Amino acid sequence: MWKTECGGRTRVEQAVKQFLPPCQVQCPINEDIQRTNVLISMLPEDPNTAQEGVQQIGDYLYERNPLFTVCGYVCGLCELECNYSSQGGAIRRRLLKRFISDTYTYNLDEKEEFNIVKNKENVAVIGGGPAGLMCAFDLSKRGYRVTVYEATARLGGALWLIPQYRLPEKVLTSALENLVRIAGIDVKYNTRIGDGKLTLDKLKNEGYKAIFMCRGTPTPRVLTFGKEQLEGQDLSGVMYGHDFLYEVSHGNIKSDYFRGHKVVVIGGGNVAFDVARTARRLGAEVSVACLESENKSSRDGIPADHEEIKGAWEEGIQIHYSRGVKKIHGESGIFQKIECPLCTRVFDDAGFNPKFDPDDTMFIDGDVLIITVGQGPDKSALQKEGLLDEKGRLAVDPLTLQSKTKEWIFLGGDVRKIGFMVEAMRDGLYAAESIERYMRGLDMHEGRTRAYEAQEIPRSRHYKHEPDIVWIPPEKRMHFQLFERGFTLKEAREEAKRCLTCGPCISCKACISIGLQDELPTVTVHEERCSGCGICTSICYYGSAQMKHVADNKVKSMTDMFQCKACGMCVVACPTLARELIGCNLEAKYSGAIAAL
Amino acid sequence: MDEYSPKIICFKCNFGWGYLDDKKEINAVMKSTVPVTCSGKVDSTHILTALKEGADGVLVLGCSQGECHFQDGNYQTGKKILLIKKVLTSFGIEPERVRMVFSVDPDGIKVPLEIEEMRNEISSLGPINIGKCAMAS
Repeated sequence: MWKTECGGRTRVEQAVKQFLPPCQVQCPINEDIQRTNVLISMLPEDPNTAQEGVQQIGDYLYERNPLFTVCGYVCGLCELECNYSSQGGAIRRRLLKRFISDTYTYNLDEKEEFNIVKNKENVAVIGGGPAGLMCAFDLSKRGYRVTVYEATARLGGALWLIPQYRLPEKVLTSALENLVRIAGIDVKYNTRIGDGKLTLDKLKNEGYKAIFMCRGTPTPRVLTFGKEQLEGQDLSGVMYGHDFLYEVSHGNIKSDYFRGHKVVVIGGGNVAFDVARTARRLGAEVSVACLESENKSSRDGIPADHEEIKGAWEEGIQIHYSRGVKKIHGESGIFQKIECPLCTRVFDDAGFNPKFDPDDTMFIDGDVLIITVGQGPDKSALQKEGLLDEKGRLAVDPLTLQSKTKEWIFLGGDVRKIGFMVEAMRDGLYAAESIERYMRGLDMHEGRTRAYEAQEIPRSRHYKHEPDIVWIPPEKRMHFQLFERGFTLKEAREEAKRCLTCGPCISCKACISIGLQDELPTVTVHEERCSGCGICTSICYYGSAQMKHVADNKVKSMTDMFQCKACGMCVVACPTLARELIGCNLEAKYSGAIAAL
Repeated sequence: MDEYSPKIICFKCNFGWGYLDDKKEINAVMKSTVPVTCSGKVDSTHILTALKEGADGVLVLGCSQGECHFQDGNYQTGKKILLIKKVLTSFGIEPERVRMVFSVDPDGIKVPLEIEEMRNEISSLGPINIGKCAMAS
């Protein structure tokens, strides 16, 4: 039977010197990517037994990252750093995770609640987005009684702004509802801090010993030109992308709402493209105007993901690169067109400071204008609670996330710094660690900055090209169903097998977990036998066999234990038998077999 | 001689062969199977000693080309086996006595089949005659 273990000797250890595969260094929550890749590659071919395996891999992931079912649809940061990208394309880790998610979501409702004794203090989490839920989950596992205060009627925060053609509603609701059920987290819906008499101080008086504040960025940024706010943003037909996506996700906008309309979207970020593609699916003819240029690699390049741009382009959305908005024209209170000068430069050395060419101006007309140039936190509420410094910025320690004005408050997520979902989740985890230290009176900083070092690509003779992503053709995807096809079991196994497993064994241990070997073998060098010939360094794929200078001007071989995978190549290659594998019992098994002849 | 059945030592890579099976089962059936984590760990001396100690053939089961967990372990052993065959030939030993198979079989069903197949193919060669070729030197 397919069985993996996660406890005891199979538990992943934190190495002293943090070598990790580059994907795990890139992942803000350092998910065990290599381990799950290896396990997926070793799933049985039979779909029914494979299901059990997928369930076990999912259980393992869930313990670290209860939102992994969502990540599998929307993240993929790890793929950016994959060593394989230089050799035929990054491992499609996001789709691999989605492969697990597709089965796991289906069974998530039946997952048993964690059996946790909650005998620690009460902690309040303000905001039920990814940062808040992650913090609540982690604290809950540590035994704290956590209450989440959510301003709206549902958890998830900004995750609801992700259109359904990328993230199905079922996956999101299931992940959110089961997270609070499984971890035993209390949620107070429709409770906005700052409304009426409900303040942070009041919560403190009610017995919450610490508060994690992660209210996100509910306020859309208004459009400016120069330093001035542009007029005409109150015209009929002008709206903000944030509000638009919110209404769409709540089902308040009918499926052909924009039929026959021309929609202009301003902005070059992923949210702007979400807005444009959503509007396109609602029947509109859409054009996007953004300040940034088409060349993503330049300083002024468009920040949206390549896949978003490609998708929009396929769906017939017109993109006007390097165009600013100088004026919004309207007639009798209704939006008409925007005046767009050419943007010659977006950033200078000091930061955002766009320059325009007034001689090259174009007009883009439409009847709806959706402004999506970012969003920001609700500063007045933060001001009222006294969490800002004299310059109007959030007063927070970036490492511990502890507020500099009130030590029992911790701040994180988008409210601190806008970022990806998983960056907010990392803030949640950091805050949970800080709250634990704060409660136990431990040092807030000690040992928290860990310098991870990415492992280099191992040498290999066989590289394979990445598989193609399968999207539904553009003419058939003008709806809100998923447009990307996930992996089948066979495809998932093959893709996972492509993984070069660059990372060290100690942070993976997939082989032990699945029972291939009892412990991680190591390679030792018997120096008295080593002739210093260096054959081992030329055969080692991982750069772990190295030469060192010893006394008498001699050179001897050594093994870098952090990089060594004990593949045995050097042992087999060594002409003087100076290298030996320890801990894999190969010789004993071999003599046993010989004796049985 | 009609009772003769060649004795075979089989190395199988755990990553490709029979990792789903309860390993003890395979090993109980075939005492002469050596599970290794990567066929790349199989040394030339392992193969030659096996022949010297009375095995009639050595079978190495490695992963499919390009699917080695340790990059190229199977490839390196494949190379090694090619050379060993040449060495054996020069000593008058049939190269068919050493064989490598590149494939994948998670359930381990094919392991006994592969051994059986090799046994059938080399049974016509008869027992190995080491004395003649002075392996000891």
